[in-house]
Amino acid sequence: MSTRVLGKSVPKKDAATKVRGSRKFPQDFDMDGQLHAKVVWSEYAHARVLKIDTAQAEALPGVVKVITAGDVPVNEYGIIIPDQPVLVGERDKVRGLGDRIVIVVAESEKVAEEARRLVQVEYEPLPVVSDPREAMKPDAPLVHDELGDSNVFRHIKIRKGDWEKGFAEADVVVESYYATPYVEHVYMQPDAGIGYIDDQDRVTVISSAQWPDHDLRQIAPMLDLPKEQIREIVPAIGGAFGGREDMHVQHLLALCAYCVRRPVKMVFDRSEVMITTGKRHPWYVKYRTGATNDGKLTAVEIEIISESGGYASTSAPVIEAGTSFSAGPYVVPNAKVDAYAVYTNNAVTMAMRGFGTTQSAFIYEMQMSKLAEALDMDPVELRMKNLFRDGSIGLTGHAMPQGVGIRETLRESAVAAGWKEKQGHWIRPDLGPASAPHKQRGIAVACGLKNVGYSFGSDDRATVGVELALDYSGEIERVTVLSGACDVGMGVQTVLAQMAAEALGVEYKQVRVSMVDTAKVPDSGSCSASRMVWISGNALLGACQEALGKRDEILMAETGETLVRAEHQFRGLSVRETTPYDLETGMSVPHFSYGYASQIALVEVDTETGETEILKFWAAQDVGKAVHPEMVRGQSAGGVHMGVGYALTEEYIQQEGMAKTTHLSDYCIPTVMDMPREFFSITVEVPDPTGPFGAKGVGEMTTLPTAPAIISAIHDAVGVWIDEFPATAERVWWAMQKK
Amino acid sequence: MWDEYLFPRSVDETVEMLAVHGGEARIIAGGTDLAIQSQRGRVPAKVMVDISRIPGLDQVQKRDGLVYIGALVTHAQIAASPLIRARAEVLAEACGSVGGPQIRNVGTLVGNVVNALPAADGAMALFALEAEAEVAERRGRRWTPIANLYAGVGRCTVDSCEAMITQVRFRALGVEEAGAFERLAKRRALILPILNTAVVVRLDGGKVERARIAIGPVATTPFVATEAAEGLMGRKADEASIAEAAGLASQAAEPRYSLLRGSAEYRKSMVEILVRRALTRAVAAASGEEGTNANS
Amino acid sequence: MPTLSMILNGQEVTVEVEPGDLLANVLRDKLGLIGTKISCGEGECGSCTVLVDGLSVASCIYPALKAEGREVTTIEGMARDGELHPIQQAFVDATAPQCGYCIPGMIMSAKALLDENPRPTREEIKEGISGNLCRCTGYYQIIEAIELAAERMAGKGGAA
Repeated sequence: MSTRVLGKSVPKKDAATKVRGSRKFPQDFDMDGQLHAKVVWSEYAHARVLKIDTAQAEALPGVVKVITAGDVPVNEYGIIIPDQPVLVGERDKVRGLGDRIVIVVAESEKVAEEARRLVQVEYEPLPVVSDPREAMKPDAPLVHDELGDSNVFRHIKIRKGDWEKGFAEADVVVESYYATPYVEHVYMQPDAGIGYIDDQDRVTVISSAQWPDHDLRQIAPMLDLPKEQIREIVPAIGGAFGGREDMHVQHLLALCAYCVRRPVKMVFDRSEVMITTGKRHPWYVKYRTGATNDGKLTAVEIEIISESGGYASTSAPVIEAGTSFSAGPYVVPNAKVDAYAVYTNNAVTMAMRGFGTTQSAFIYEMQMSKLAEALDMDPVELRMKNLFRDGSIGLTGHAMPQGVGIRETLRESAVAAGWKEKQGHWIRPDLGPASAPHKQRGIAVACGLKNVGYSFGSDDRATVGVELALDYSGEIERVTVLSGACDVGMGVQTVLAQMAAEALGVEYKQVRVSMVDTAKVPDSGSCSASRMVWISGNALLGACQEALGKRDEILMAETGETLVRAEHQFRGLSVRETTPYDLETGMSVPHFSYGYASQIALVEVDTETGETEILKFWAAQDVGKAVHPEMVRGQSAGGVHMGVGYALTEEYIQQEGMAKTTHLSDYCIPTVMDMPREFFSITVEVPDPTGPFGAKGVGEMTTLPTAPAIISAIHDAVGVWIDEFPATAERVWWAMQKK
Repeated sequence: MWDEYLFPRSVDETVEMLAVHGGEARIIAGGTDLAIQSQRGRVPAKVMVDISRIPGLDQVQKRDGLVYIGALVTHAQIAASPLIRARAEVLAEACGSVGGPQIRNVGTLVGNVVNALPAADGAMALFALEAEAEVAERRGRRWTPIANLYAGVGRCTVDSCEAMITQVRFRALGVEEAGAFERLAKRRALILPILNTAVVVRLDGGKVERARIAIGPVATTPFVATEAAEGLMGRKADEASIAEAAGLASQAAEPRYSLLRGSAEYRKSMVEILVRRALTRAVAAASGEEGTNANS
Repeated sequence: MPTLSMILNGQEVTVEVEPGDLLANVLRDKLGLIGTKISCGEGECGSCTVLVDGLSVASCIYPALKAEGREVTTIEGMARDGELHPIQQAFVDATAPQCGYCIPGMIMSAKALLDENPRPTREEIKEGISGNLCRCTGYYQIIEAIELAAERMAGKGGAA
């Protein structure tokens, strides 16, 4: 299919304002008469609040109000279950450093800052549970004593086939224990915004968010107001990566505006972001894999303990998603999987790029790398023997829908990296000499797959509207796309504009995409699960079709109308069925659609210091249809960046629930100098027939294979397995010493 | 933050200003560290005395065989200075590894010394170069060896509320003399080191005439491995003697466990690696194998 | 309250500041120039990069009064009569900005680099942005944008 606008790397709709610096992020807004708010945060990971003394703070000149728990109409919220207090009052518990005691509202930021230091809080420390494995024990301190008698709040079981027989039939069994780390999103724009009452008496919030409609559905009950009286405007988002799916400031800004009836601005500093906002779920995993000598997987037995921190957030869906992929993109006939979501007093864990599937990719790919070694088989060859095809039966007993491009991604990246295929056998490339006598080279591959859209029977949907402005002859002059799709930086607004231009037969420059304002645009659902292109794109195409139909009617009837409006809701369940986990067997049709990626890392390890340098990196992603090739490449590189950090440099350190990495200088995301010296992005297009123009999604899958590829390459170089990462120089060094 | 911001126009005026304010004022040069410390409430002084407008303090010069670096010379200037690269390249290497361009453009070498942290890269090279600092106080000026400035972690013997360091100097490296700098860190830019070392060696016909090895952060101040350096003197500068010196340096260094930097054992082992690598490069450079410092 | 006088984006500007104000806050809060972004607050990420007398500095840790009498250039000073500077245009054409928050700082670092070194190698470009963190792009398209800018500006006979 030849296309005019699709498949072209057009200038992004938001690029000009971003290079000018004129695009306003939430902290860039100011309103007349605005006040400033600062949060008083919990000082303990687990404690009862005995007394809150706000008198001194309230007495400080310039302080307008100190908002306490008693001021909150309904003092609870949560993205799925409302287990989080908005503010913690006397006699209530704090369960982590992210809990809020009071909010100080003052005439200036300086006064608010000073006033919050004057708030005195008395705590009764409680025993801290800082390891989910300890938290699972029957005598562990309970984080949520009001919810039950266990810190385990979700358990998923998969029982498929006969795993004991499967292991008996295996010639080789690999058993490992893995521990994945706490890592931080580090979106460059700290959480911020303004809350105010608009001219229609709506409690309005300007902030960055991933799912405005869902924010409203938490804020409205909190304020005991109808949803229509809450409004959220998302002007620009300085990165999200899942970290803005939960609210960090939106409800606080709404509460402030509600209480003082004036605009209130709040800006987090970087330490507040690092200490109080959500992180990636650490997983503690026991993994057994059985395979025959000719490389066929026979069984897996997996136990996953996923750490939730003090509140559930999205820990249940994270473990659901992660578990569904825990055996990877491979045909595994027999499986026993148990996955647990467990409360602790460490930092709350929330959505982060991959949403459980990143941790999954690490464990299943490290197992495959170890199997390849145990079988003395080429790692590409071993994977090719087991990878999914269209119709392959997945871990939960469902057939993989048409559009499985995983083999293509592995083939293309392997060939690009120098692998040769001869009669079904794959032969690794010669790596050449290392750059110094104390260095050793290694190469490794990893594959990953990610769901596109929400899962397990969730009625995932998006509504998108289009407005056509016609000229006197009925030709389309201008198009406005009305979508609640939040552009976190990946370019969804550009993609929607391209799709609209293509579908409506107009020029890209004739299309504009409206800002996200819940009062003005429909709900497109969350910018997450790599779903925006697939689900909003489909909704957009429906709306375009309807709009064209209406335009034709207008022309035929010769009414002379010049404005056409259409809105279309697309439901994922309308094209593909998904079902929840069976409680006993775990069987389900988990997801609508999938994206696939394979990556290869060529590294050099300094055998004296343990340092790893990535010389070359190939990243292949199957996106179904690359609407904007350069944006796909940007997602590829960005996903790899996070994976490089995950694998080598990023560690969010806590001790007994207390954060130790509290400044950006403590937490090492890769600089330009830490990225692979040469990076090759390979885009594969195996269309998904249900996707708009065949497109899938890309946002998350590009970060899945990165860490296992790098860490397996370290093994290839120096013969050590790093099962607990990041593979810092010191960890690699210790592993080499112990060898 | 502070309540007053002053611009003295001379060193004497600076010292006078500090005296007049009786401990309430302190010197600020680039301020890259001060601004952060002040935001965290760790700077009691309420008056900042900004020396960046004092003429003559931004020079890098050579006089009578000595290299003089003024108090306002930035890390970036040192890294790019043809004089430093020719006559003390170890210092250019060290200063070039600090932070990123924005920090190097503003942060001064002397300010780095006054900060008195045990891992300061530029200071490490100054230790290896056996530099001296000129202190300007009320009673006059004096030169003092750089080691005398370090009282402990973050504590300089020169109180920035009373005196200022106007310049540092060291003997320019000559024929058969070279240095090298090595650094280990958690990523490749914009990061403090886990470990660093600066060495200077002077050869005489293939034998080590003099050596100096500075290492950080393995103590509360930059650590000079005297035994290791003395062990090298008079010996042929080869793989064996270098390895021995590196081993002695590692034995003498006592880094402590650091939650963010790493275990004591790993860092102690890395001392040996870094010192060996630095000595190897310095010896090669001094022997003329890699190109020397010796061109005036 | 003391005043700060500087040449800001080519214009003489005088503004009242608190003695302890940092340049980034003065630019953003007192002068309405919100293009300079604050991200880490400790000079460790480059989002707040502006030029002072042509050198890139972290404005979030740069005392405002230190800029007295200096030439300060912010992202707002890059475009001329509304037209994008070649560096800005190259960033657009190379699809460099994703979320955009690091971009003004990246562009200012690129300007400082190209003003001093109009024909940088790829390695020199990387050095030039080694003090700028980005979480979205992986940096490659930013490097390519700067390469493109250098090429185009060299074609016109030098940096603008």
